[in-house]
Amino acid sequence: MSKKSADRSRSARAQAALVAQERAERRKQMMVVGLVVAALALVVGIGFLISSMRDTTGETPEAVPNGVTDSYAVVVGDESAPTTITLFADLQCPVCKAFEDATADQVEQAVAAGKVKVEYRPISILDEASTTDYSSRALNALMVVLDTTGVDAFVDYQRLLFENQPAEGTAGLSDDELIEYAVQAGADEGEIRGPIEDKVFEQWIRNATDQASTEGVNGTPTVLIDGEPAGATPQESAQAVLEAVA
Amino acid sequence: MGLVARLVTGGVWIVAGALKLPDPAASVRAVRAYDLLPETIVPTVGHLLPVLEVVIGLCLVLGLLTRAAALLSALLFLAFIVGIASAWSRGLQIECGCFGGGGFSADATDDYPWEIARDVGLLVLSLWLVWRPRTKFAVDDLLFRRPERHLDVEEVR
Repeated sequence: MSKKSADRSRSARAQAALVAQERAERRKQMMVVGLVVAALALVVGIGFLISSMRDTTGETPEAVPNGVTDSYAVVVGDESAPTTITLFADLQCPVCKAFEDATADQVEQAVAAGKVKVEYRPISILDEASTTDYSSRALNALMVVLDTTGVDAFVDYQRLLFENQPAEGTAGLSDDELIEYAVQAGADEGEIRGPIEDKVFEQWIRNATDQASTEGVNGTPTVLIDGEPAGATPQESAQAVLEAVA
Repeated sequence: MGLVARLVTGGVWIVAGALKLPDPAASVRAVRAYDLLPETIVPTVGHLLPVLEVVIGLCLVLGLLTRAAALLSALLFLAFIVGIASAWSRGLQIECGCFGGGGFSADATDDYPWEIARDVGLLVLSLWLVWRPRTKFAVDDLLFRRPERHLDVEEVR
């Protein structure tokens, strides 16, 4: 064997060894990538499961308030009234308060005269606007008043809660204050304190809120007159309602 | 540049995802408000997105699987841009729900251009990282050391 060919075979062997080494290196890297991807997928999967479990939307509520329909509505007024106003509102929503201030008296008169009925669809989407989940606490209290004291007290209490609406970003009204206003609206403190403090209608509220969302309600107030969206802005909605009840 | 892109994009993802994690139901409603996806997958997307955002953000900040994370990040930003533009063009007035919240907003039409501009910027940063995934202070550097080049062998060949 000549010196030249011996050199060549040595270098060929060296190269083969290098290729094998690179291949092993790459295989190791692919394994690391595979492991990291698997670990990340696991993290995402677990996070997803936790999120899904924490969202109890759609679960059967332990308690449903007396006086609501299957479609999460509180109907006020004469069933046979020719016009129906549907109102989606959140007790923490300032624009809902403005809407209520602008229309409540006129609507009340029209309801009394049998001209319209109102389908209240209270929802809670603004818990993050207070430090104490005021939106859903207040709505729970409102539904407790409906449940125990009836629809007239519901209307009065809702009015009181809008009149005394806490500013966004605050702690809102305490449970005691909620109970105080409920008593003003005619409720019996002994009857309502427990269900208000225990937030008994929390799951019902969550389902009602989700139902509204699937019906295309993306914010509050949303107003329908005879099922048709009334006005593109809250001001226009208020105007449309005032015309409907005039 | 690469490091900055990683930290900015990853930081935005972490904040955006973390703000949405506490209220999964609100996240679902924000997705639904776009009225783009079929209702059967809306809850899944609403629950999955915040988690995915946090994980992508962590990967980018740490420099873990940078290229893949940046690619996913770019795809998500693209999807968000399409979603916002679509909401805008259909005359919907919704908050983007990018950092929690979502649903109706009276100022929506004024906000859309800014939201799109922000997402385009983040999309560009993500694409940069897809193109140049090797960055300083990345976990990738520890996991995948480049094998040393044996130039002498190249020469022999």
